[in-house]
Amino acid sequence: MTTPLVLLPSDEVPRDYLPANNSNPLRLGPGLRILSQPSSKSADSKHVLTATQAGLLTTDAKKNTVSLLSFPNRRYIPTVNDFVIAQIHHSSADFFHCMVSPHTAHALLGQLSFEGASKKTRPMLKQGELVYARVLSVGVGAGAEVELTCVSPSTGKAEGGMGPLAGGMVFDVSTGMAARLIRANNPSAEIDEIEGLVILAELDKKLDPFGGFELAVGRNGKVWVNCSDSEENTVKATVAIGRCLQETDQKNLHPHDQKKLVSKVLREMKLT
Amino acid sequence: MKGQPLPEATASLFTANPPRTPIGPGTGPTPLPMRSIRPPSAEPPKKVAKFAAPRGEGTAKMSKEAQLSIAERDFILEALRENVRVDGRQPNEFRPVDISFGEEYGHVKLQLGKTSLVVRISAEVTKPRDERPFDGLFNINLELTSMGSPAWENGRSNDLEASATNTLDRVIRHSNALDTESLCIIKGVSCWSIRADVHVLDYDGNLTDAACIAIMTGLQHFRRPDAVVKDGRVIVYGVEERVPVALNITHKPLSITFHTFNESKNVIMDASLKEEQASEGDLIIGLNSAGELCYVSKMEGGPVDPMLIVNQVSKAWEKAKELNIVIESVLRADLTKRAKAGMADESRAENDRLMATE
Repeated sequence: MTTPLVLLPSDEVPRDYLPANNSNPLRLGPGLRILSQPSSKSADSKHVLTATQAGLLTTDAKKNTVSLLSFPNRRYIPTVNDFVIAQIHHSSADFFHCMVSPHTAHALLGQLSFEGASKKTRPMLKQGELVYARVLSVGVGAGAEVELTCVSPSTGKAEGGMGPLAGGMVFDVSTGMAARLIRANNPSAEIDEIEGLVILAELDKKLDPFGGFELAVGRNGKVWVNCSDSEENTVKATVAIGRCLQETDQKNLHPHDQKKLVSKVLREMKLT
Repeated sequence: MKGQPLPEATASLFTANPPRTPIGPGTGPTPLPMRSIRPPSAEPPKKVAKFAAPRGEGTAKMSKEAQLSIAERDFILEALRENVRVDGRQPNEFRPVDISFGEEYGHVKLQLGKTSLVVRISAEVTKPRDERPFDGLFNINLELTSMGSPAWENGRSNDLEASATNTLDRVIRHSNALDTESLCIIKGVSCWSIRADVHVLDYDGNLTDAACIAIMTGLQHFRRPDAVVKDGRVIVYGVEERVPVALNITHKPLSITFHTFNESKNVIMDASLKEEQASEGDLIIGLNSAGELCYVSKMEGGPVDPMLIVNQVSKAWEKAKELNIVIESVLRADLTKRAKAGMADESRAENDRLMATE
């Protein structure tokens, strides 16, 4: 186990930090870029991995991925395959025009890119409704459009809960926190140590008697929470989850403090 | 060829085709040579182009705050029906107010939840206005730049700016919180002009109240240079030469903004941006610690019951008193800090000035 490595923009990723698994091609997460350095002596060029943002290098040996865990940040830059929570702004003949982050160009979501959607069965989404979608492509060059999809391109199914989000509440967190939350969902021992994010597990444990909750995390710094199963406690449980997430994010709490925060907030909201 | 006068037929042909006309030999170089300067393989140019694109596209929508989603609006209203606010506050609870001071007098940084702003108070000697020769000048400048929120555009005023400026003017300036007569140096010839600049660094609702607290703190914190009239001439002493003088504050008004929801069944103080967007109307009350009202505004939105306004005034009074105590305590803390730093004399400006005039 190597120590965590902090990279600054333009820093190279040292080779010994890369996963040793060579059977699959190495997959790069956001914040990393492959550059080829022409070498003067021989004809073949050398490839180096370079960081484009400041962040903590994390690797996953099983999936053979290497990615950069960026720091809390409010700006979201779309990257292919990210899950995002988008808000419908308006619709045109073929597309829904969605806001992924406010005050940026709208992203396009095909009217038919929903699970089992045909011309007759496509969802009729109104302005202001939310969808959980995946970034399909970000385009290249000036005026490039970000395209979203609510189905997995390979299977045609809505994997990972993609599709319209009904009810619930959206809370804003930093993009760094959103990335951590997504990782915390599929934990491997190595990542867990760096992340130290126990808040979801803790909330899950404590809110289970009240009917549990549904959560969708968008990499664009939005978390959708739904507790409609909690009946009369729906509002309180939702607010409690939102507060816990935002406070953990803002104060960058330790796992120990996160547990304390959960009990404190639930006590305040009379949910114990 | 295009530089020379063209035959009439060709000229009209060119003007009929506007995209082509500007690309003449005289209109400067085409963008191509510029592009070739960049290394062809480097990534940054692409990125620049990508970020630049949305700016051009969405200009019409830029000056507007992004709309709230249906889910958020419904939830905020539903939660308020159960008397719960999304951030867990009580209806009449402000977000934590954090006031800090800069190196100089009258430099205040205020943080109200995520709303954050800096106020600078400055003074200069000018000529008083002809119709009021005994009065000094006092101005409040609030400009919303894109630093505070991506929804604001530089150099273009929006509704929020207009209403916030108006409210601040009414609450602080027109209520004579700063005694402008004390700013007079020589009648009709010279006076002090005090200026309060508000810079918004981050915006998450309730700009007016935040700016009001910060300006009032700044006015109480500010010290202007001492000025003396000798033989009909004004001598302004530097801060090092003479202890600077505190401003004459007559009373300490604050604005308290309420927002109403669910047919004004729910009324809350210090709404966050999302709450503001979900609200049906606002009610601004300006008053001082003594409970003297100086401003009541019900600018827009749904109707409210007159009794509700009366009730809210008493709530606003409680809050104004509370906030003024907070302001006093931070001012006192800062003064002791400055005194410790060897500037004890400056904090006793009043006494020194008396001694100097004797």
